[in-house]
Amino acid sequence: MLEKGSAKKVIIYLNEDTQYHLSPLYESILSFLVHKGVAGATVTRAVAGFGAHKVMHTPKVEALSEHLPLRIEFIESAAKVDELLPTLYDMVTDGVIEIQDTTVVKVAMKEKRQPAERAAHERKAGKAKLMRIFLGEADRWNGEPLYDSIVKRLRMMDISGATVYRGILGYGVKGHTHKSNLLHTNRDLPIMISVIETDDKLRKAAEAVEEMIGDGLIVISDVDIVRLVRSRPDA
Amino acid sequence: MQDYRPAKLLRLHFTERDRYRGKPLYEAIVEKCQELKIAGATVFRGLEGFGDTAEIHRSHLLTHDLPIVIQIVDSAENIARLLPAVEEMMDKGLIALSDVQVLRIQKGSSTSV
Repeated sequence: MLEKGSAKKVIIYLNEDTQYHLSPLYESILSFLVHKGVAGATVTRAVAGFGAHKVMHTPKVEALSEHLPLRIEFIESAAKVDELLPTLYDMVTDGVIEIQDTTVVKVAMKEKRQPAERAAHERKAGKAKLMRIFLGEADRWNGEPLYDSIVKRLRMMDISGATVYRGILGYGVKGHTHKSNLLHTNRDLPIMISVIETDDKLRKAAEAVEEMIGDGLIVISDVDIVRLVRSRPDA
Repeated sequence: MQDYRPAKLLRLHFTERDRYRGKPLYEAIVEKCQELKIAGATVFRGLEGFGDTAEIHRSHLLTHDLPIVIQIVDSAENIARLLPAVEEMMDKGLIALSDVQVLRIQKGSSTSV
């Protein structure tokens, strides 16, 4: 499983009809990558191209249409790429191997099946920090509501959870009273976001939030948590 | 984290139906906070709850008697100044006080007032 953060992207350019031990080279490379447990790889067929042989590879000429450029790419950790590279170097007899530095932003995987029944939960207790962020409903950040942007940012940072509350009355830094009316037409009520996380992760979250807020208040306190975790039944 | 300073967080729990001199208690308390120059106060309305009297507070078609929580953050001295006033205003309910670390953000003077 790929992890977020810096990683390497490997791109291999070759010809569709290059053979490796009687089967197409790209197939051999793919089976090698699967065998080594690489997170994922993609083969794309090009529309046209040329390479070291200075031969135009194009589908226009029927005789050459089995001779199109291919591009295999995959992303892995630097250590894993180091492990794979000698073999790939050996396999690619006709082509180019390129490595780029890249950053993995998101690795998402959908659950293949629903858990059949509710598993027994595990009780996890410990010390944590609770952060309350006070802001106004009308505050905006790059054109969207600030509370929305903060929750999205926290989610990207893998913060375990955040809850947005809307107050019905209040005043604070800006000095004006936020007051609700019957149909909620003023849309500038007080907003509080509460976040519970471990000390070091909350510190990072607080720094990120601090940059986004124009006027507001961040309040941090010590809490004891009791977290109920449902363990997934093994597939 | 060095900019965070210690402060107190005061939470007042009561219900929407509680009144003080003819107006909703939460409004009266917020006004009292402003009068005493408390840094800020925010009122939240809960969806459902129960307290000391074990009476469930829930929204009915005609009556509004939902739980109210006021959160107030300020220095220990200011909270100490506010507490007696609040205690006098509340007939029943709950007052919770905790120690917190606070960062107040005020970037420039924004155009909105």
